[in-house]
This record gives sequence, C-alpha cells and structure tokens, in this order.
Amino acid sequence: MQWKARYERHYSLPGFGHLAQEKLAAAKVLVIGAGGLGCPVLQYLTAGGVGCIGIVDFDTIQLSNLQRQTLYRTDHVGLLKCQVAAQQLRAINPDVKIIEHPVQLDQNQADLIIQQYDIIVDCTDNFAVRYVINDCCVILQKPLVFAAIYQYEGQIAIFNVENDQGMACNYRDLFPVVPTAEEAPNCIENGVLGVLPGIIGLMQATEVIKLITGIGEPLINKLMTFNVLNYQSMIVEITDDAPVQVENMGITTLGIKEHVDHARLLDEDISGIQPHEIEVYRSDSDVSIIDIRESDEEPAFPMADQGIPLSVLYARMDEVRASHIIVVCQSGKRSIHAAQQLKMHFGNTRRISHLIGGIIRYLNNNKPE
Amino acid sequence: MKKIKILAFGPLAEIMEKEFLMEAVDTKMVLDTLVQQFPSLGDRKIALAVNGKIRKDVVLLQDQDTVALLPPYSGG
Repeated sequence: MQWKARYERHYSLPGFGHLAQEKLAAAKVLVIGAGGLGCPVLQYLTAGGVGCIGIVDFDTIQLSNLQRQTLYRTDHVGLLKCQVAAQQLRAINPDVKIIEHPVQLDQNQADLIIQQYDIIVDCTDNFAVRYVINDCCVILQKPLVFAAIYQYEGQIAIFNVENDQGMACNYRDLFPVVPTAEEAPNCIENGVLGVLPGIIGLMQATEVIKLITGIGEPLINKLMTFNVLNYQSMIVEITDDAPVQVENMGITTLGIKEHVDHARLLDEDISGIQPHEIEVYRSDSDVSIIDIRESDEEPAFPMADQGIPLSVLYARMDEVRASHIIVVCQSGKRSIHAAQQLKMHFGNTRRISHLIGGIIRYLNNNKPE
Repeated sequence: MKKIKILAFGPLAEIMEKEFLMEAVDTKMVLDTLVQQFPSLGDRKIALAVNGKIRKDVVLLQDQDTVALLPPYSGG
C-alpha cells in the first residue's frame, strides 16, 4: 500500500486510516452537473483522493454562475464547464483520473455513461434529467447520492442502496410522477443564496465518502432537509409501505434486459403494440396514432392521425388529446424514446404505447402475397 | 378529529405557514382540507411524512402527530 503525504490527515484519522483511503482510491464516481452542487462535490472528492471521477455537463460558464460555482474564474466565462472543471481538478490532485462527458444526459446515453461508475451523484438542476438518472440507476442498480436545493433549503438522500432489511428506495418513492417545472422553479427563476449549494454539496460529498468507506450512518432510504437560515434539519425515513411499481421505463432503450427482473420498475408499462393490432386500436376514437418520423421520411404511413417529428415532440406534446397515445417510427426504436418523453410529460394520466418493429415491419407484414 | 402539527417546506411554506396546528382524521383529510384552503396547492406533488416516516398510503392520525409536507426541489 502506497503512503502519500497528501492524505496524511486521513491516515491519522481514527476510524478512517489507510484502509478507507485505499477504498477511495479504488472508487469510480460520476458527478452529473458541474454547477452549484457539482463544484464542491468535485473539489472535495478530488482533493480527498477518489480514484476516478467522471463529470457530465454540456453547459458553458456564465458570469451569473460565479456567485456560487467556485471552480470557475471570471476569465473562464464562455468556456465549457466540463473542460474547465477537469483542468482545475487535475491541478488540485493529479492522482485522480478525471473523465469528461460534455453531453446533455438523456435516455439514449445515460446508461452507457452511468454503467461505467460505482456511485452516481445527482447535482443537476432540472426534474427531467433527475428522473432519467433515477430510473437509470434503479435499472442498473447503481447507488445514487441525490441532492437538490431551493432558495435557502436543500434536500439530500441516498437511493438504490439496501438497508439492513434489504430494502432500497428511489426518488419515485418520494415523488412517483415527474413534477412540472413550475412546481419548483430553478435557481435562475427563484434565486439561491450562493453558499447554499456549497453547504449541501459538501454534505452530498460527505455521503459519497461515507458510502465508499463504510464510515458513519449514510442517509440510506432517508431524506434530509436542511435550512441555512436557522440551521434546522429534519431527516425522514423513506419506507416502502406502498411500493411504486416501475415497469419497463427505458428498459429496451437501455439495452440491459438482464436487469429487468431485478429492477423495481417505475410507472406503468410503455406497452408494445404488435403490427396486426394497430388496426383494432385505430378504430377507437380515444386513440391517437402519432408518427414521430421527420417530415421527409418515406414511406408514408396513412394510419397515423398526426405527425409530430421527434425533434419537436417535446414542445408539441400538448397537441395530443387522446387518452391512449400510440407512437410509431420507421423501425420501432425512436418510438420508444418518444414514448418515454411522453411518459415523462403525462405521467400516468395517459396510456402510452409504441408500434413494435415500426412502420417497416407493419408494411412487410401487410405485403400482398 | 385529531389535533396535529403541520410542517411545510420549500415553496409550500410560501403558500401556507411554515408550522401550524390543524384537525384531521387521516392524511387524506389533511391534504384535502389544505387544498381547499389553499387552492394554489392544486395538484402539486407533495411527499408526506407522519412522525418522520414517508407515507404513500392513507394513514389514520393520532393527537400530537406531526405531518411534514415535503415538495420536490429541482435546483442544483
């Protein structure tokens, strides 16, 4: 075991020592979001000697970020957060392998990135990505260290780690359906005290270190709320008194079918419709068949009630009125992504399905002999 | 009816008091009464904890129970 002067204060810390430091060095941690929460998490995990740290962020540094995002300097404004953060962190501790992921995390690549790491840290600032991360971590059974802030308060929790009774909770055990953006405006709309993400982010980093090294009592299946105005905190236990049934969310897209049986699946199924069934559904007036291919794609598919290209689906979802939405695309792949987007938007208020094998398979099945 | 204490967090504390007493039989009645009193609660997502435990089902309340209303935060 290599002795390093850098970590002397950890070596001499009772209950920590060389063993815990070795565990940190062996860990791979993914920090999603290099903003208010992400900066302190990244700084301290790097300084503390976590072996490998991935950073996901596609944003550039804004002047208004500098009030709280302490990895960045004034002359960094306009540069990619991911790159600047990586550069700063490598200077803090060259022992740590820093990996940059300058992408906007969505269902398409979330699993590919997340599966490379041992612990996932959610430092994002919007519900859409938080639910993608949550669901992906449920399916991949990755420990998720969650934190979120609002004005003067923060929430911290650890999901997908079993407690002594073998129970593991996730974010949907708190909030089963994705809230609307208006329900909790982000820092841009609502303001945030600059030190708040610093404090909450450090608590989040502390939870990561506790999880890796096994010290103390990590917030497993517990949600802590902390208020910086009066330093009041409250910890509530998340129980599985009425488990949320999660089904099939993104499973096919994620290409990890072997995990399906183990995952506690969220939401209602995004069901697949077989080519021969679509005519039956079409006769139902409360069904809308949406073709999500781009406008120049062939062949035509006259069965569709509406065409909304996937590229603009997010903005036009509310145009769909029917209570059962069937999404179709060329080969049945993009329709799954579209169905997931609709699911995120409508929750369980609509039934969402997609055409298995897409238009190509439907037309092949219906070829005149 | 049982006398209980309500704790409201985050944006909910802007709609109602941060801490107050009310009477209710069960957790469903708590939410129904509050939505009636504060229509802007609308269909906000709220996690509800009775005496420090998140409850998704309807729970009968006892005198002096504390019910915490926790909204989701999105900032980061």
